Amino acid sequence: MSAVSFWLIALVAIAGAWTVLVARETIRLIAGLGTFLLGIAGLYLRFAMPLLAASQVFLYVGGVLALFLFAIMALRRDEDRAGPAVRFSVVHASVAAGIFAVLVTALRDVGAASVDVTAGQDAVDAVGALLLGRFLPAFELVGGLLFVALVAVLAISAGEDRR
Amino acid sequence: MSGIVVACLLFSLGLYGVLTRREIVAVLASIEVMLGGATLLLVVLSSTYGTGAGTAAGANTAASGQAVALLLLAVVAAEAAVGLAVLVSLVRHGKTGVDDIQRVRG
Repeated sequence: MSAVSFWLIALVAIAGAWTVLVARETIRLIAGLGTFLLGIAGLYLRFAMPLLAASQVFLYVGGVLALFLFAIMALRRDEDRAGPAVRFSVVHASVAAGIFAVLVTALRDVGAASVDVTAGQDAVDAVGALLLGRFLPAFELVGGLLFVALVAVLAISAGEDRR
Repeated sequence: MSGIVVACLLFSLGLYGVLTRREIVAVLASIEVMLGGATLLLVVLSSTYGTGAGTAAGANTAASGQAVALLLLAVVAAEAAVGLAVLVSLVRHGKTGVDDIQRVRG
């Protein structure tokens, strides 16, 4: 795996994120989001984590993106716009650029200390043992959170009709 | 280092989207981009941080990163579901812009 492959996949993710930023039509926005999520999955693969990449594709591209599409299609209006053209805002751009600079500066030392990705990191059994061992409380909490979210979605969308 | 730069760049792009976009769908998608960047940073750091990579301790760190990222995936899915439910509820009232919802009440 060369740096070229990394930057190619990263470029796909960045292009997707850029499309989300500038897209005027909702369907293009969703397509950009899908490209971004697939690019992220590709980067996970690049970092030798196929389990995470597969989960990303199943959960995000198959789940969250379908949810987005479903919501958009259910609410389809005459004008299929994601709002007016996005105007370039110097203030907002400088806030985002400032955050980027701060993050990269803060993580520079860590990056200098990092070593290249090595093989043999994809230990699916190790991840499973961690999830049901050290991370069991968090795992259970996430299950509870998903249940609460399910009830909340039902209450928000079905409660409307009852009123 | 390049992984860190890409993750931070994606996070900043998402942040810019959250700040500038005025449509709820676009803001939600931008939040997804931010969370994707943050998760990627977690994965990059856990797989390459320090001198442990390639050793047993390094593999354990990478596995921890993967486990936390998997938990994060579920949290983001819950966030998207609730966000889209709120969106559906708002659109039923003819509101699609962030500026339309200055007030939130029961």
